[in-house]
Amino acid sequence: MLIVACVKQVPDTTQVKVDPETGTLIREGVPFIMNPYDTHALEESLRLKDKYGFRVAVISMGPPSAEVTLRKTLALGADEAILLSDRVFGGADTLATSMVLTGAIKKLAEKEELAIVMCGRQTIDGDTAQVGPGIATRLGCSQLTLVDRVEEVDLKSKTLKVRRKLEGRHEVVSAPLPAMIAVLREINTPRYPSVPMRLEAEDSSIILWDNKVMQMDEATIGLKGSATQVRKIFSPERAKGEILGGEIDKPEDSARLLITRMVEKDLLSL
Amino acid sequence: MAEEPKKIKRPRGTARLIPGKCIACGARCQAECKFDAIIMNEKGEPIIDLEKCTRCQRCLKICPADAIEIYYTPEEQKILDELAKQKAAKPTPEPEAEKEDPRLAKLKEYKGVWVFTEHTEGKPAEVSWELLGVGADLAKARNVELCSIVIGEKVEHLCAEAFAYGASKAYLVDDPVFHYYRTESYYKAFCYLIEKYKPEIVLVGATGLGRDLAGAVATNLQTGLTADCTGLSIDDKGFLLQTRPAFGGNIMATILTEFTRPQMSTVRPHVMPLPTKDNSSKGAIIREKVPLKEEDIAAKVLEIIGDEKLDSVNVAAADIIISGGRGMCNAENYKILQELADELGGVVACSRAAVEAGWMPLERQVGQTGKTVRPKIYFAVGISGAIQHLVGMQDSDTIIAINRDKQAPIFEVATFGIVGDLFQVIPAITAYVRERRKQKAGKAG
Amino acid sequence: MSATVIAFIIVLVLALAFFAYSCYRRFGLVLKGKPDNRFNSIGKRFWNMLFYAFGQRRVVKKPFGVNHFVLFWAFMILLISNTEFLLNGLAPDTISFSLLPDGAYFTLAFIFDIMSVLALIAVILAIIRRFTFPPPYVEAKSRDAFVILGLVAGLMIAFFGMNACEIAAGADRAGVWMPVANWVASWLPSGAAGLGTAARVFWWIHAVILLAFLDYLPYSKHMHIMTSIPNCFFKSLEKVKTQPREEFKKGNTFGVGEVESFTWKGLFDSYSCTECGRCSDACPATFTGKSLQPRLVIHDIKVNLLKNADKDGHKELPLIGGEGEGSVKEEVIWECTTCGACMEVCPVFIEHVPRIVDMRRHLVETKARFPEELLLLFENMEQRSNPWGIAPAERTKWAADIDVQPFEAGKTEYLFYVGCAGALDARNRHTTLSLAKIFDKAGISWGTLGRDEMCCGDSLRRLGNEYVFDRMAQANIKMFAEKGVKKIITQCPHCFSTLKNDYRQYGAELEVVHHTELINQLIKEGRLKLKSTPPDLGKVVYHDSCYLGRYNGIYDAPRRVITSATGSAPLEMERNRDNGFCCGAGGGRMWMEEKEGSLINVARVEEALKKQPDTVCVACPYCMTMFDDGLKDKEASDKVRVLDLAEIVANALPD
Repeated sequence: MLIVACVKQVPDTTQVKVDPETGTLIREGVPFIMNPYDTHALEESLRLKDKYGFRVAVISMGPPSAEVTLRKTLALGADEAILLSDRVFGGADTLATSMVLTGAIKKLAEKEELAIVMCGRQTIDGDTAQVGPGIATRLGCSQLTLVDRVEEVDLKSKTLKVRRKLEGRHEVVSAPLPAMIAVLREINTPRYPSVPMRLEAEDSSIILWDNKVMQMDEATIGLKGSATQVRKIFSPERAKGEILGGEIDKPEDSARLLITRMVEKDLLSL
Repeated sequence: MAEEPKKIKRPRGTARLIPGKCIACGARCQAECKFDAIIMNEKGEPIIDLEKCTRCQRCLKICPADAIEIYYTPEEQKILDELAKQKAAKPTPEPEAEKEDPRLAKLKEYKGVWVFTEHTEGKPAEVSWELLGVGADLAKARNVELCSIVIGEKVEHLCAEAFAYGASKAYLVDDPVFHYYRTESYYKAFCYLIEKYKPEIVLVGATGLGRDLAGAVATNLQTGLTADCTGLSIDDKGFLLQTRPAFGGNIMATILTEFTRPQMSTVRPHVMPLPTKDNSSKGAIIREKVPLKEEDIAAKVLEIIGDEKLDSVNVAAADIIISGGRGMCNAENYKILQELADELGGVVACSRAAVEAGWMPLERQVGQTGKTVRPKIYFAVGISGAIQHLVGMQDSDTIIAINRDKQAPIFEVATFGIVGDLFQVIPAITAYVRERRKQKAGKAG
Repeated sequence: MSATVIAFIIVLVLALAFFAYSCYRRFGLVLKGKPDNRFNSIGKRFWNMLFYAFGQRRVVKKPFGVNHFVLFWAFMILLISNTEFLLNGLAPDTISFSLLPDGAYFTLAFIFDIMSVLALIAVILAIIRRFTFPPPYVEAKSRDAFVILGLVAGLMIAFFGMNACEIAAGADRAGVWMPVANWVASWLPSGAAGLGTAARVFWWIHAVILLAFLDYLPYSKHMHIMTSIPNCFFKSLEKVKTQPREEFKKGNTFGVGEVESFTWKGLFDSYSCTECGRCSDACPATFTGKSLQPRLVIHDIKVNLLKNADKDGHKELPLIGGEGEGSVKEEVIWECTTCGACMEVCPVFIEHVPRIVDMRRHLVETKARFPEELLLLFENMEQRSNPWGIAPAERTKWAADIDVQPFEAGKTEYLFYVGCAGALDARNRHTTLSLAKIFDKAGISWGTLGRDEMCCGDSLRRLGNEYVFDRMAQANIKMFAEKGVKKIITQCPHCFSTLKNDYRQYGAELEVVHHTELINQLIKEGRLKLKSTPPDLGKVVYHDSCYLGRYNGIYDAPRRVITSATGSAPLEMERNRDNGFCCGAGGGRMWMEEKEGSLINVARVEEALKKQPDTVCVACPYCMTMFDDGLKDKEASDKVRVLDLAEIVANALPD
């Protein structure tokens, strides 16, 4: 049975800085990395592989340069890595992205029974957390987001049990396979690639699926298949560090000022 | 004698990327180009093939960052100015009435602003009421109704509360199958309502549950969904403008859904002001029966574990962290941090020094050799902010530093800093939070 | 041929055959190790052997080492006597020193007699020491030690018994020239019957003990008697300050996961260990109560080699992570700070640190198993080329308020390689700024790489992540070549040693200088003038950085600079210079928790506080952090400040 792990190569947004004068992004020298949430999704897939003997295929939609990230997934232990890359996939919003990913998953599921689609909760560049649910809905399978533990997979009854983290509580949910799981970062600690695996991965080939292979309707993918349009992009007001009060002998005033500021900045609702 | 101006060929200019402006949005320009004139480089920026480029300017229009321009050399610019002058001399023809996109016509039947009422087995999430506030503004701008969607079991009381916060109508789906939130049952009910009543705008709180639900609903309806919005407004054409941070909060994007309905957003909690509650407000409850049976729903909720029952505190998963360092002086003093944490719904963490001193357990340690945390709010209390600690918490959304030493490096990364004695400041914060809570409870009651 | 001779021949042949077989087995195992060329520069090696093995240079560094010196030389000289003894046993009538002319025979007899008594005294002292003032390790009272000491003592007693009986029987003309034997003989009834028989009995006792000793040697820790001299011959010609490269090719093994993957020298080292415990005594991990004892690591390697010797292919006892003797625990491997104190004191030049790094390499590269806190470090290094994972753009932040030139070949002479800590750590940025000020004052032409600077990879290499280190080293060297970098100043001793020693393996011809040396030179040349009345720093104590001191021999430069900048020589801690005690952050320990025992940095701070200093002077950003933390832990940070040497000098610059 198959686990499909969905990963995305993203710019390391924590390294992105904004030019304080022009307000533009400084992307120079910012490397592309595997979306940190996806590293946990991959790790969870690999752990389930180790435990239950699944095969793990990794798919990623992106430019040809995303091959680097896919190679890393092979070094970590994925069995197969497929890059979905075509210019007609470009400019996609979450709706169009989940369309292409679902297309690839369905194609993989033709050859091998699909058990789990594993996604990270969200990406660090888009922060939408919508692609996972999108895939689940399109596949018509169970949608299990916010998972912080996969309790068990029962291969006989083809069900699984996961723990989900919600506001103020956790819930344990069971669902039949196939299921889409979107994991939280606290679910696991990703493994580190061994050198023999890295060397192996360096020589492995990444499978490329363009739209000639995928045969998707161009109206449903990429920019054309996107329901949302970005009208404009601007830089946010930067909150500069602010020292409150400053008079050592009046802690009450500083405390009040702090809470007031936090409420103003929508950090607390009081 | 005025010379008849010569017919001049209009200069074509050069389409080019404005350095530093591209945000590598995901090759929109390339996708938009009809002439294969754009290829993307390693950094995700366009390279424009001027041989193929027809200067059609589609890429200019699609680029959300205004990163592509048509550049004219000074000579070309001169010619352009000349042409403009000639044109100005002639009477300008009436501008053609802008033709409406035929795709928009069929969207007209969608009306009304809907807000999803999030609740946990009947206990409402505050964000639902916050959304009624902004929803009212949108409804007013569009001159439509503001409706609440209430799905659950024995949740009719939520309709009354929704009216008190400004909804004029509530669609209620009340059935035991909706006792627990499950994506499948809820999204099917939600889609059923949307397909039946065709709202124009649907707002959902950007909580874990809300994002889970909205993603499924929007995909099912094949409509646009914008995540985690911090600003909503209506533009002059009546579109919903949704503003949200992206790229790790480094940029803001304004997004709209043009050709599909409803226009859906999830909205970040605490951002929209809570409207004043008016218990005398009344509204109409529309009861709906959704054809769903328990046996149709594959997922089963087996167990609910309250956070208080979890055996260990997971610092890495907390939204609010109150972290104490060497300045806490002893283990006993962590109590005052715990009090504040309880008040704010956060957890207590610490720096390495506190673990070494034996004041706190290792699993609470934040920093290079401890946990890396990214909470919404991080209080660094009595922590000087050595690099080993900073790397474990600097991606927090908001950092509040409280330290006696105003030179402490922690203030360099802090959003708010208080220079002072933590043993006075922390209790003062706790006291003030309690005071405001009490005031609010008084007001609401 | 008499029956005795025949009996002796049989005994001797059997004993020698067994000895030869033992040696064949033992040394055959060594040859299973990986190749390592230790046969170059024979002349120098010969000299090393004379100096360190026969000269016992390092043995006598400890007060009690003299006892070993005596025993060693007694043993060497008695080797002649014992050889004669065995040959004499084979051919009593034709081979004997007594056949020599009187002068020669008497001299030899005198020497052997004196040497024997010295050996006996040394053995007795050694036994007494083990009971009354034992060296600081438990195994001082091992059975092995007493068996050997007992055998040696027995040998000497038999020697005297034999000689005394013969003297008393009037059968040895050299009697008066053997004062000790003669003195013993004086207690015997002169000319009594049976003395001849007694002499024969002692002769046989002597013979049996001698052969038993020989046969026992290969099975005891005293095998060092045979191996330590060649080990000094095979010792690394240079100080061991780096690890060898690995070749990253499919099918290779990485690091050492089973004992035969060590080099033959690594295995030979384990045979050379006498378990004197000096390495453990010097080790900061052992000192603070951790499981790591360098002596035991070497011992475990030997035991593992022997225990697995008969197993073909299948190793019953794993080298790493097994139970009990012969297997090195994983936590032990991670507790090493690579400070090199063990190698500095080892009398026979055993190379402990490279063995530990070999095993780390296996864990990281082959098993991908390491303390969890290192995962972040490894990811940060690979993705952002600094240990904290800070955005590379921040590397220039320290210079926000000053004017810094980019390095440009031809325009700037030196590359100032700021280092991760110097560029990114708030405290250490002060050192960096001080250095910038010093360079400018001295008129040095310097530039930096700005945000293009990458980490040197020191921590990765010491932690066994050779694969990533290898890539970082190559990237750095490529950049240096492209930019035409020839001369480099470093702020951090770890960058210094890595660029200087490790990068040389990649063919990088760089002139690397640490700021302590450079400042010392600038002062000496008069290019840097300091205030005549320097700011008062109170009592200054200097802490040696391992990678500056032990690894690169820089001890005097910083001390001279302190003297120039403060007007007086620094105070010395109890353990200083080559005996200096690590701050606890080397070998990648900076990025790990100390889960066992007490904290190394606190131990060192306590040692410094004994001198009641006002200022602790360091020359390394890691030491800076460790001292800062340690002083806070000891609640002494109000009274004692930590300053980098550069800061002290910058303070002493005229305005």
